[in-house]
Formats: sequence, structure tokens, C-alpha cells
Amino acid sequence: MKIECIKDRIMEAVGRAEKVSGRNPTLPILSGLYLEAKKNELIIRATNLDLGLSTSLSVKVIEEGSVVVPAQILNQFLNSLSKEKTIKINLKGQTLHVATDKTETSIKTLNTEDFPIIPEIKDEESFSLPARDLVLGLKSVLYAAAVGSMKPELSSIYLGYEDDHLIFAATDSFRLAEKKIRTKKTPNFKYVLIPQKNAGEIVRIFDSVDEDISLTIEENQIAFRGGEIYLTSRIIDGVFPDYKQIIPKEATSKVIVLKQDLVSSLKTALIFSDSLNQLHLTISPSEKLFEIESKNNTVGENVYAVEAIIEGDDLTINVNHRYLTDCFQSIPSDTVNLSFSGQTRPIVVTGLEDKTFMYLTMPMNKS
Amino acid sequence: MIDYKQLWQSVLVEIELGVSKANFTTWFKDTKIVKEDGGVIVLSVPNAFVKEWLLERYHNTILKSLRALESSVHSVEYVVNKEESRRREERSTINHLGMSELPIPEITVNKDDNLNPRYTFETFVIGPFNELAHAAAQAVIKNPGALYNPLFIYGSTGHGKTHLMQAIGNHIKKTSPSKKVYYMTSERFCQDCMNALQFQKMTSFKEKYRKYDVLIMDDVQFFTDKQKFQEELFHLFNSLYDNNKQIILSSDKNPHFIAGLEERLKSRFSAGMVIDIPPPDEESRIAIITKKATNQGINLSQEVVDYLAHTVNGNIRDLEGTLNTLIMHSQLKNKEVSLADVRNFVKTNAKPKRTVAVKDIVKIVSDFYSIEEDSIYEKTRRKEVIRPRQIIMYLLREDFNISYPSIGQKLGGRDHTTVIHSCEKVKNDLKEDLSLSQEIGQIRNLLIV
Repeated sequence: MKIECIKDRIMEAVGRAEKVSGRNPTLPILSGLYLEAKKNELIIRATNLDLGLSTSLSVKVIEEGSVVVPAQILNQFLNSLSKEKTIKINLKGQTLHVATDKTETSIKTLNTEDFPIIPEIKDEESFSLPARDLVLGLKSVLYAAAVGSMKPELSSIYLGYEDDHLIFAATDSFRLAEKKIRTKKTPNFKYVLIPQKNAGEIVRIFDSVDEDISLTIEENQIAFRGGEIYLTSRIIDGVFPDYKQIIPKEATSKVIVLKQDLVSSLKTALIFSDSLNQLHLTISPSEKLFEIESKNNTVGENVYAVEAIIEGDDLTINVNHRYLTDCFQSIPSDTVNLSFSGQTRPIVVTGLEDKTFMYLTMPMNKS
Repeated sequence: MIDYKQLWQSVLVEIELGVSKANFTTWFKDTKIVKEDGGVIVLSVPNAFVKEWLLERYHNTILKSLRALESSVHSVEYVVNKEESRRREERSTINHLGMSELPIPEITVNKDDNLNPRYTFETFVIGPFNELAHAAAQAVIKNPGALYNPLFIYGSTGHGKTHLMQAIGNHIKKTSPSKKVYYMTSERFCQDCMNALQFQKMTSFKEKYRKYDVLIMDDVQFFTDKQKFQEELFHLFNSLYDNNKQIILSSDKNPHFIAGLEERLKSRFSAGMVIDIPPPDEESRIAIITKKATNQGINLSQEVVDYLAHTVNGNIRDLEGTLNTLIMHSQLKNKEVSLADVRNFVKTNAKPKRTVAVKDIVKIVSDFYSIEEDSIYEKTRRKEVIRPRQIIMYLLREDFNISYPSIGQKLGGRDHTTVIHSCEKVKNDLKEDLSLSQEIGQIRNLLIV
């Protein structure tokens, strides 16, 4: 194998693939990238046996061939080069020689025979959506999924469809996030559950892509195709909880507040929060008061009154700081709406005049 | 039949010799033979990557090794195991202390048909004890309303009647969405009927139930001594039956032995197919435990499974309950369930094996034959009392090995010769009288619970 290419372009592709490659001590081949020079392009493959990626870029191919190189080493090396514009890659025996105007490097390679095959799903029936919609949808709910759970449904992202909108949802059973994104097309699937861990990678990989992405679903796998990237992930076989039922229909108290104000007051409160991250909220429409109170016996305490429009009944309620703060990154509007319906019922957070995002979190038990 | 486990084990041993340890564990761990059909071996693999890899690199090796051991094998297919893809992920580290959970409904019951989607054939464990019932269910699915109408399933509580019935409903709903399926309990039917009577809406009540293509009614023994409701059920049954609509019923006993049920209903209930689901045998209990544990994402060692299956007798519900508690314990302590834990747990928590009291048997049998309990102990020679009394003696002797004199003494101070005579009589009658043996089987079922 012998190729010549623009350094920045191969660096981007390698960087993308490197994150997918495995850290599997029992199978070192997974920590490698499979490079294949064919016709006038270089194909790069990586997998951790849960997620598989294949990406390509056009290069000048002098001699076709393939090689597996340690992903981290190649990535670090390419990133360390600053000024070089082009690089020449040449495989001689078991070593890969990488040359620029100034440097001469040789990297040990791994056996190409051992590199896993990435399952290919035929794109006969696919559904396409803009990459930014996919990324936004996943990003908006990702943090609400359980990191590791007895129930795989909860450590996955739900992607479904309802009334001209794609629905992204995730819950770890303590909070729930739902994002709706308008679409003109009707998907050819009812719903799909993507593992939370893989969803994070999908976001990262397609973040910089502008094109449309096509989704193809098979029994156990989902494939994403967009630009020169092919990504496949396992999907979870299960039923996502029917969360519509738990959304409180009527709010007894409502607080409307500037997002920035709330976020900064929460930041202050965090300093004084206890090991459980407990915050004490006081909502008092009669006194026109919305207070956030945090208390840590070893540090001290803080009370922060936030300017807000307050309606409904008086209420005091405890919440977990983390669970409340997480959602603000996904709220597009500058004003947020907190709806309460009692001390033991979920709190609903939405953007004012924004119907696309909704977040639910349970209060903490009074202790 | 080929022993899959052993066959695959031998193949693995051979393959292991030829590949590196890392390769072996990555690609061959969690693979197994799930099926063999006319020389085609179906291998279950944990994910799509393994499937591709085995197909591409090891297909010939696998096939060759299989053939060497089992000449009838001519090809191999690979399927991705779904349960494996649900494997347990590492546990979360977030501090959930003090948080209450969102009241997420487990899986919800569909309001239109009352069916719980959790009850499907995929989750139904088939064993020797229920394969007949399962086969009948499959026949009903293929040909609703035609072959076995009504399908009457009976068996003691927790043997999977409801699961089976709902699975039929769910399956029919899935394969022919146009068919209207409805599941209800008898209690619900009575309630509805009563409301209709009260508010004089009998016509709409009748309409409502007559429009269904498949009607599933659970626990019909609740109709006992409810004349008016029985009459309504009778008319409903006839109208559905005449229109070739499938009816599925369940009860805790054979329709003929449901006391206080009108004859015309009994005979109609037994007109189609009457099937008994006996208690699960040990082998099936093992299968059930393994399946439930995998569904929960828990790995139990073989010895734990065996021990549970052996010690927790009785119905499947008990088994599930014990298993759930065990899983809960292991989660709390965040470690695997060991045999010692299980021993300890079963010893302290399981329902003690019942030592049967003569009084209980008398009660069950006299209830069964709808006679006064006291009459058993009396010196009466009325015909309707003699038979049950003899059966009691027979059961005490056969099943509980109580001595003749003490049986006589406990049943109203009778002579032991009377007892011997009774037992012999029942034993002899059993040889010829089929309905008697059915009755005794029924009673034995009731005794187990």
C-alpha cells in the first residue's frame, strides 16, 4: 500500500474513527484502525464490536493494499504534526512508513487478517433526515438515559414518530427528557431503541456532518449513512416505557423564570449543597417569592431568591440539583417554565413558548 | 436426538486448539446451538459482529467439525441472540439516594382489548406439563372459532392459564389485526352485567360482548351460584358459538366439577376442547427459572437453578416470587447469587411444606362434592356422603400414608376394617370408573395448592 494525501483530511477521518476503536485487552486488534487503499480512496474502519464505523476520503493511491495500525498512535502522531500539508504513507513489510517534508516515521502494524468485519446492512428501505436534526434530537435527551441499568430500555434512547414529528426520549426512571423534531417524511419503522453509550458516539461522529443521514434498521442492528460515513450500532430489543401517562396534566403551581437567572442561582446553590445535592425550593405566589435554598452542615448554607412570575398554590419541594440543571442545555428559549403539581409529583420543565422539548424530574423525598 | 450442548462443546474444543485464546473468547464465547432442522444447525451468537466473523472466517471449520461428529449435518446458519443483546450493563454510579422514581407504568394493559402485552408466546415456557395446552393454543390461533371451540383450560393457580390465554389473544391480534379480541375476568363480566341490570342497559350490554371475534374469559368458577349471570353467559355463549367466534375459558377445575354451575353451561363448556395444566415438573421449573432470570438480566449458576427448582415446589408464581426476591437481594448487596445465599434464603423464607391436616382434606373434598363437612364424621349412610367419605379415606391412605386405625379414628371413630374396605373399594372402582379417577385427580390438584 502506498498513498499520498492532505494531512488535515486524513487527520479528521482518523480522529473520527479512533474514538470508536475498542480498548479490549483480550483482543488487541480492536484497538487498531483498518486502512484500505483502493482505486482513488482510503477507507478507514474501526469497531469495538458494539459499534462499527467505516469512513472514506479521497487520496492519491499509488499502490493499493491494506493495513491495520494502532489507532491511538496514529491519531496522536497526526495531531502532533502542525505545519505539514501533505503526507506520504507507505507499507513496507510489517511496518508502515509515514513521511512528511520534515519527519520520517515508521509504525508497527497489526495483522489485517484478524480485523473484524463490520456488519453491512443493505440500504434498501431507508429513512433519511438531516444530520443536525439527528444530532440535536439525541443530544437533547442523551443525559437523561441511565448509564448502566438492569433494564436495557432505560439505558437507551427511544426514537419514534408521532404526528409529523420524530420523537427522541430517554429516562433513567428518575427523570425523563423528550424532544420533538418536525419532519416531512414518515419513517418506515415504528420505533427503535439505541444504546445510550452508542448514541453518544453517534452524536460525536455526525456533529460535523452537514448532509442528510439515512437510517436503515434490521432485526438487531441500525445503520447510519451520511457523507462518506457508515456507522452501525446494535439496537435494544425491548419496549420503552409508556411515559405519556406520567406527565402531570394540570399544574398546581407554576414558575416562569429567565433561564440565565435560574442557571446562575443554581450554580451558587451547588456550592452549598449536601452530599445528596439536595435543593429546597420555596414557591409562594402570595408573597411573590421563588427561593432556592441549599444547606451543607459542614460548609454552610445559601438562600437565593430568583425573580420570577409565580402562579398557583404555595409549595415547598426538594429536588436534586443535578437532575434539575441537566435539562437547561437542551432548552432553546431564554425563558423556562417550571410546573409543579404537588410535593410528590414530577416537576415539568419546558421552554416558554417552546413545544419541542419537555423534561420531567421527580422531587426528592422529604427527609 | 442430538445432544446439542455436548456436540457444540466437542466442536469448541477442536476449534480452541487451532486459534489463540483471545480470538477464541472473543468469537466463541456465548455461542450455542439452538436448533437442528433436517441437517441444518442453527447457531446462536451474541451479536452481529460475531455472526459476520464466524460466517466469513470460521464457517468451514465449524461445518467440518460438526460433520465429523455428526454426519447428518449439512449446513450451519447463524442467528443473533436477542436475550444476549439485553445483557446486563455495568451498574450506574450516580447517587440516587433520596430520589423517588417516576411512576413509570410497567407495561400497560391495552384498554380496547384488556390484554397485557407482556403475555406472549415468546415468554411462555413450554415443558412436558403444558405442551398439550400449548399445542391446543396453537391450533386455536391457526383456526380461530373452528377447531376447538370453546377452548377450556383448567389448572391450579399459578400454572400459566392466564398467560396462555392472553398469549393467544395477543398473537391473534398481531397476526390478524382486524379481529376483535377481548379479555376479561368472570368477575368483571358479572360486574358489568349487574350495572347493566341496575341502569337498565341490558341491550347495550348484550351488544357489547356479541361484537367480539375472540372472547377470553378467565376464572369462570366465579359464576358459581350466580343464576342470573349464568343465564346471560349462556345466551352470550350461544350467540358467539353460533357465529363461529372463538371462545376461550379458564377455571381452576374441570367444568364438570364446578359446583353450582348449570348443567347446560357445563356441557357447553366441555363441547370443544378441555385441557388441564398440571403443576410444572422439575425440568420445566428449571427452564422457567432460567428464562425468568435471563429476562431480568441475571446470570444464575446451574447449581442455584437446580436447587431452586428442586426446593421451591408449587406454582410458577411462587417460583417467580422467590426469584424476584433473590434478585433484589443480589442487587442490594451487589454480588452474584451463591448457592449458600439461596439455601439460607429458601430455608427462612419459603413456604413450609404443608403437613396436611385431616380436617383440611375433609373440607376440600366435602366442598368439592357440595356436602356438609360434618356429615363426613356422622354415622350417616346416605349415598352422597358415603362416596366422598370413602375417597377421603383412600386419599389419606394413598397420599399421606396414615395408618388405617388412625384414619378410622379421625373420621368419626370408625373401625379400621371399614377403612380398609373403603380404600379397597375406591381402588377397585378406579380401575373401571374413569370419571372417578378424574374426580380424584381434581381433588389431588386442589390438595397441592
